[in-house]
Amino acid sequence: MSEPREAPYSRAIPTPTGGPLVTAFGVAMLFAGIVTNIAASVIGAIAFAIGGVWWFREVFPREQLEAIEPTGGQSEVLPPPLPDREAPSKRLVLPVEIHPYRAGVLGGLAGGAAMAAVAAAWGIVKHGSLWLPINLLAGAVNPSMAALGEPELAAFDGGWLAIACLIHLVLSIGTGLLFTVALPMMPRRPMLFGVVVAPVILTALSWSTMGIVNPALEEFISWPWFVASQVAFGAVCGFMVNRFEMVPTMRGTSLAARLRVERSDGGGEPS
Amino acid sequence: MSTLTTRPAEVGAAVGGEPLATRLHRWAVTVDHKRLGIMYVLSGLVFFLVGGIEASIMRAQLARPANDLVSPEVFNQLFTMHGTTMVFLVGMPILLGMGNYLVPLMIGARDMAFPRLNAFGFWLFLFGGLLLYFSYIGAQGLYGTAVAPDVGWFAYAPLTDRTFSRGNSTDYWILGIMVSGFGSIATGLNLVVTILSMRCRGMTLMRMPLLAWMMLIVGLLVLAALGPLTAAQVMLLFDRNLGAHFFDPQEGGSAVLWQHFFWFFGHPEVYILVLPAFGFVSEIIPTFSRKVIFGYPLMVAATVAIGFISLSVWAHHMFAVGMGPALNAFFSAMTFMIAVPTGIKIFNWIGTMWGGRIRFASPMLFATGFVAMFVIGGLTGIMLAMVPFDWQVSDSYFVVGHFHYVLFGGTVFAIFGALHYWYPKAVGRMLDETVAKWSFWLLFAGFNLTFFPMHISGMLGMPRRIYTFQPDRGLELWNVLSSSGVVLQAAGVILIVWNLLRSARKGAVAGNDPWDAWTLEWATTSPPPEHNFDVAPTVGSRRPLWDLKHPEDPDGRYE
Amino acid sequence: MAATSDSLAAAAPHAEEWRPARGRTGMACLIGMECFFFGTFIVAFLFYVGKDTTGPTGKTCLSIGPVVVWSICLISSSFTVVAAVKALAKARKAAFEFWLGLTLLLGGAFIYGTVMEWRGLMLEHELFISTNLFGSTYYSLVGFHAFHVVLGLTVLGLLWTLSKFGHLGPEDTERVELVSWYWHFVDVVWIFVFTSVYLIGTGILS
Ligand code: HEM
Ligand SMILES: [Cu+2]
Repeated sequence: MSEPREAPYSRAIPTPTGGPLVTAFGVAMLFAGIVTNIAASVIGAIAFAIGGVWWFREVFPREQLEAIEPTGGQSEVLPPPLPDREAPSKRLVLPVEIHPYRAGVLGGLAGGAAMAAVAAAWGIVKHGSLWLPINLLAGAVNPSMAALGEPELAAFDGGWLAIACLIHLVLSIGTGLLFTVALPMMPRRPMLFGVVVAPVILTALSWSTMGIVNPALEEFISWPWFVASQVAFGAVCGFMVNRFEMVPTMRGTSLAARLRVERSDGGGEPS
Repeated sequence: MSTLTTRPAEVGAAVGGEPLATRLHRWAVTVDHKRLGIMYVLSGLVFFLVGGIEASIMRAQLARPANDLVSPEVFNQLFTMHGTTMVFLVGMPILLGMGNYLVPLMIGARDMAFPRLNAFGFWLFLFGGLLLYFSYIGAQGLYGTAVAPDVGWFAYAPLTDRTFSRGNSTDYWILGIMVSGFGSIATGLNLVVTILSMRCRGMTLMRMPLLAWMMLIVGLLVLAALGPLTAAQVMLLFDRNLGAHFFDPQEGGSAVLWQHFFWFFGHPEVYILVLPAFGFVSEIIPTFSRKVIFGYPLMVAATVAIGFISLSVWAHHMFAVGMGPALNAFFSAMTFMIAVPTGIKIFNWIGTMWGGRIRFASPMLFATGFVAMFVIGGLTGIMLAMVPFDWQVSDSYFVVGHFHYVLFGGTVFAIFGALHYWYPKAVGRMLDETVAKWSFWLLFAGFNLTFFPMHISGMLGMPRRIYTFQPDRGLELWNVLSSSGVVLQAAGVILIVWNLLRSARKGAVAGNDPWDAWTLEWATTSPPPEHNFDVAPTVGSRRPLWDLKHPEDPDGRYE
Repeated sequence: MAATSDSLAAAAPHAEEWRPARGRTGMACLIGMECFFFGTFIVAFLFYVGKDTTGPTGKTCLSIGPVVVWSICLISSSFTVVAAVKALAKARKAAFEFWLGLTLLLGGAFIYGTVMEWRGLMLEHELFISTNLFGSTYYSLVGFHAFHVVLGLTVLGLLWTLSKFGHLGPEDTERVELVSWYWHFVDVVWIFVFTSVYLIGTGILS
């Protein structure tokens, strides 16, 4: 439905009116009467009625508008014609190539599996229970777990297994993705990044915060094993990500093309 | 087709010679989004000074142990009124008011979608605020003395029950907030409709300035959050005045239900208070880094994600209530999740500054101050989202430290940045840069001096909302540091106010586009005429003014 | 100086650009807000079902028979209001007033039903808002709904009066349609209130 008389497409704006002010005063007084005197409510009701009628007559039968003469002095905004997408551009778009996000997800999953294997090995070798590390991970969301003894913690519990799996999956995929997007910072040595830098950072972070995040885990944790699991993650994840070919970031291409719904402007298959 | 009368615009000089009554009348009957925006900001600043004075008295009381500057009763009123004022009468109106002023200009509209409703919203806010403060004179206290509300800004049941809160000061709290809440609902609705329906030609959703995106989400959050608050307040009003039992444990009512209702409003509310700040910063940082915002689509996605997630984290304010491990775990996880889009934004601002030609003019100082302080507040937020940690420090000064880093270091710094950035547009004159820088550094130093020690006193066990503390508990130093920071902050605020007032007459003339910025509001004159634009703009990219200034290298090609 | 509005119409957005009409968007927002408002009262009601230790509760004092009748009135008024809007769009004034009048009657009947129910609860069962949790939650939830019905009736009555005096024409269809949206909303909320109070609250559904 077209609205030819209405803002914003003409220079028309509404005429000033006191209706809203009086109506608002009425509302406030109406409520103020509850804590002061019934007379305030009566005044409020009257003001509300007057303001309401006043306001209504501003918009009925037709909205009251007035147009303002042009004042000048402004820049008139109109977009310039767009140059051809293929024309040479003086802007540089960085980074030019990255690993695809898919690589991050797969790398994260693979790394997560490796890490889980190390953790499971720790549980079995050191404590004789596969479930201990899993329950400890779930302790991140259940502080009261810190109070449990080792026998309870070493027992199987379906709920904690599900929670631990969820946490592990989310963290692994997230870290894998982070790894992929951070890789261009150290493009030449992905394995160095994966096997040394990332585990060091993560271990330091965990070491300093573990008591707060997961007091249950803190009690049991063995830092050499922990570092080993981090390195396993980094190595496998780095290895996986590295196997993918880099792709151009496709900045400047339309969303549809990036999602591969449509061919890119240059024709041909988007790489 | 019907005709319209045309009249010349009332700007600047034409208004100068008029008698005061005429000028006041003009402001009273206005439905112009720019005038309403200015009135919102001005009344918000006045309430800011009032709330600041209340805070200063509290800090004076806490400057030394076993002090008796104010009585415990007065202290309760002070922190209640301070919190309520800062959230409902400072944060909301200033942010909604700036949205009011800026959004139509930024999306190339003549006005808000419903200009009269807009005026209605402003007056409701103002009268609601006045009603709340009238309690100082009008409310009946215990012995017939007038008292302000004293139940805390979240008014927990059963403290608000008739049995424990005699007189009617709590009713003042309910009604004042409710009336100004109606105003917020009106303005929130108006913002949503304006942004969806009133965009100029070419202004697709994905070309809107980020501030408009944030305001859209804020408007939706206002609609979702204020309804439940009003409903809960009505229930409380019924409890107190009609003898209902919603939150009355004596009759089987649940005090915890009030907490759920309040925080279902309360957490979205904190994002209502910070999303516009994100918006300001997302406009200021690109301009002063001379770069486009980094990752625009991601910023939009993060904003939308925050909008959704913020509706499902409320019970992280209730970890200490004893909700049980399942609920605690759920709300803890959701709270971690909301930190992700929030963190994304931080990275995008840094990415925008990275490699830019940064100019540290006063708006940029406040914006970078915002980023730094908000990061600290966000990190303490994550700490609090961990249930075991929260159990240790909930209801202590650590929490006070957390939310002042996000609300003062975050929201208030961004508001001051925005004031310095858009003041030339609204007034037509520049603020004094030297004074502005002094005020920033004073505020920044004072802020950290006051609020950083609170983390430590909190961890040492100082509870919040307490009117004094005992000597020899190791709390003296941290409290006196906190209190002394107030002096610096007060100096900073006074300088800002002075600068705002003085520059209106003495400042250098600004011109249309003093910062060489890129969004539509800088295309029109400063201050803009009533109809905003002689010719409605047409845009072809996210930075229409860049395109205008560099027709050979338009943005549209890269978006 | 006077100018026609056409000469002022500078640039309307491109036909393909999405701009929802402001009236509709505004009403949709208002309705969304109201959903959250009513949702809170419904949550409170459901939370307290069966938690009372004393006094009349939904199980003992609500009778569903009459409510079903009044509910049918309210729900059917959603259809009559649609007929009214259609009539207005076709400039059939008499039909518009007839359907609108019928809507008013049906809505009025619903309010009459509520008043009678409340009368019975207060006089026969001595249930008041202060009696117990059921009283508190029941009266405020049903009362707020009834309040919204009365608001809707007031606006519809105003439209009817305006039309009688010849101030309403087909050009106002969109505005009237927005009022009808609000009316539909009030009806839909009733379905939820009905389910909570008269089905779950009475123990029919549990
Ligand atoms: C990174 C995101 C954030 C997280 C994870 C977070 C977490 C928390 C948690 C868990 C609490 C409850 C502490 C307690 O009472 O024991 C809390 C309190 C609070 N937060 Fe945040 N927060 C975040 C961001 C924000 C933001 C952006 C604001 C406002 C701009 C804010 C304002 C507040 C306020 C006002 C309180 C205290 C309410 C009161 O008890 O009076 N927070 N926060
Ligand atoms: Cu929160």
